[in-house]
Amino acid sequence: MTQLILYNVFNGLIIGAFYALMALGLSLILNLSGVINFAHGGFLAIGAYFAFALIPFVGFWGALLIAPILTALLGGVIERILIRPLYGRDPLYGLLLTFGLAFIIEDGTRKIWGPQTLPFSVPEWMSTPLSANYFFLTGYRLFMVALVTVAVIVLFVVLNRTRLGMRIRAGTLDLETVSVLGVNVRILRSVNFGLGIYLAGLAGVLAAGMLGLQPTIGTDLIMPSFVAIIVGGLGSLPGTLVGGLLIGVASGVTSVFFPSASEAVIYIMMGLVLLVRPRGLFGEEGRF
Amino acid sequence: MSEDIINRPVGRRRVLQAGLAIGAMQVTSPFVVKALGEVPVKIGMDNTFTGTYAELGRNEQMGSELAVQEINKKGGILGRPVVLLSEDSTSADTGTAVQKAHKLIERDKVSLVLDSVNSAMALAIGEVTAQAGVMNIVTGGHTDAVTGTDCHWNVFRICNTTRMETNSMSKLLFDKFGKKWYFITPDYAFGHTLQQGFEASLKKFGGTEVGASLTPLGTTDFSSYLIKAQAANPDVIIFLHAGQDMINALKQAVQFGLDKRFHIAGAQQELEALNGLPPNARIGNWVFEWYWNQPNVPHVKEFVAAIRKLNNGKVPTARHWFGYAATWTYALIANEKKTLDARVLAKGLEGFTLPPEVALMPDKVFFRAGDHQLMPNLYIGHAVAHGSVPEDLFHVDQVVKGIDVAPPVSETGCHIKWPA
Repeated sequence: MTQLILYNVFNGLIIGAFYALMALGLSLILNLSGVINFAHGGFLAIGAYFAFALIPFVGFWGALLIAPILTALLGGVIERILIRPLYGRDPLYGLLLTFGLAFIIEDGTRKIWGPQTLPFSVPEWMSTPLSANYFFLTGYRLFMVALVTVAVIVLFVVLNRTRLGMRIRAGTLDLETVSVLGVNVRILRSVNFGLGIYLAGLAGVLAAGMLGLQPTIGTDLIMPSFVAIIVGGLGSLPGTLVGGLLIGVASGVTSVFFPSASEAVIYIMMGLVLLVRPRGLFGEEGRF
Repeated sequence: MSEDIINRPVGRRRVLQAGLAIGAMQVTSPFVVKALGEVPVKIGMDNTFTGTYAELGRNEQMGSELAVQEINKKGGILGRPVVLLSEDSTSADTGTAVQKAHKLIERDKVSLVLDSVNSAMALAIGEVTAQAGVMNIVTGGHTDAVTGTDCHWNVFRICNTTRMETNSMSKLLFDKFGKKWYFITPDYAFGHTLQQGFEASLKKFGGTEVGASLTPLGTTDFSSYLIKAQAANPDVIIFLHAGQDMINALKQAVQFGLDKRFHIAGAQQELEALNGLPPNARIGNWVFEWYWNQPNVPHVKEFVAAIRKLNNGKVPTARHWFGYAATWTYALIANEKKTLDARVLAKGLEGFTLPPEVALMPDKVFFRAGDHQLMPNLYIGHAVAHGSVPEDLFHVDQVVKGIDVAPPVSETGCHIKWPA
């Protein structure tokens, strides 16, 4: 039993890392632009479908590299045309727009690629367990963790060590002052939105390797990402990361004892966090 | 400085509201209506057009649409044209399915209700149609109770019962692959009754159930269940899912290498799922309820060609056949009895044999009188990574007769009560 729990803790960390990747993108956009991006799951699906379309031409690795970038570019265009006019208005506008966008993306992918599940293959060596003793270590899951780790490190380096990152962080705290200091806030928001969507696209390619690729692939994954943000604390990217890992572990461990509650447990956890520490584990007091 | 520079604050409440709304998004969806103009004889389909069973529901709808086209070409029902009205029940919300059934019956005045991929919905809709006195043919909900303990005078079923499926597979699994079984089961009526069926067989043969995991419908990550299954060290791991759940489960089982260490099998498998799997995950022994590649069975080629035209060139699956056979069944019996009276038609369907051009199977296919269950053929076989042609992903090892694997009516718990 101890071994089973331990396996599920480690496995939960792996799945949590995946939730965190998606939640970080959501969080980036929410923090700087104040947009609750309902269409994030849709962008995840687009990333996966782009990869599926690219694999015959550039292989899995090429698709992994290109598909998230294409998704980010598409996200940038949508931000420029549809979302930018809504900045400064009540957040409800952005929420409604992205809500509609989620449906449009879902039906759009259904129209282009069909409603059926598509066979998305990953390289053969990933489709095997790596260790007979540590059963949860499969090639694909290890690859996912490695990629998420690299993506998170790069993201935090960009945010903490580059001029762009500093501007994004400063803008998160006080966008008005950043603007007064001469930073083009419009471009900053577009780049930040693209960065968030890039993470969604990357999560999409990873998800398609593990799940069936069909138009609602992102819908099932977006709720845990919202929960990760709330548990971790609004406004805190490290909090979002921890939130993702926590809900992954909670879900995994619950499935050992009470499988039917393995999905409900993350919402119970969110409720508890809201009751005890309403700003989330790492959220700043008074900010949200 | 322009006004749009400053963000309006997004509060925790707003994010929570957003979360609630996105949750709602998964259970609500715009309803689908395919009205074809004036409606002398209306058939209503209340099925899963969105969510995990979307593809299965849509394929049943396509089969039904083909039947409607053919029926209309041949003069309709009682000389009147037929139209199909479709309503989306979603994949998991039985309340929506019931609400849509009421709408079809009370507002649209349909003569026949066709439903549903989801077993729980089929049971609930059966109650509604029985009270309303409307004919009801269940296309794709397999749980035993539909033609068992919860059977109704007006409800007939095309697809097999879960017990027929498990009975057809059990002996083969037990004799060929071993007597220790582990179940990974979706946590709702369909999964429960499949597992009960296998458990009954296991008991009969003297085997052992080494464990079982219930997975919520729509599970995306199966790893914790797979970890438990391998820890139990069974001879056979039995997957009892359908739709997207089956795809996710098998894809991840292969990544965990379970197929190398244990035998993978189950009851019902569908072409939709095998099509959605990468070749290395097309594994295991299963039962198909209908298969498109039956070179020696009359009329199958014509049906395959007709569906290909509607389905972007793709072959029909069992779901297409369910919708097709159900719709044709109603037209045939109504034209034979020259009435739409539900009681007369229900009586007429008891023992009714489908003609070869609708049955599309080698043996006699008929509705059993005592429980209104269709007795078709079942196709036992195994999944193949690559077939003779790209869509030939299942190898049929054996065809069995439904009547040989169905429990007798006396054991189904069905006691049909006819209205006065």
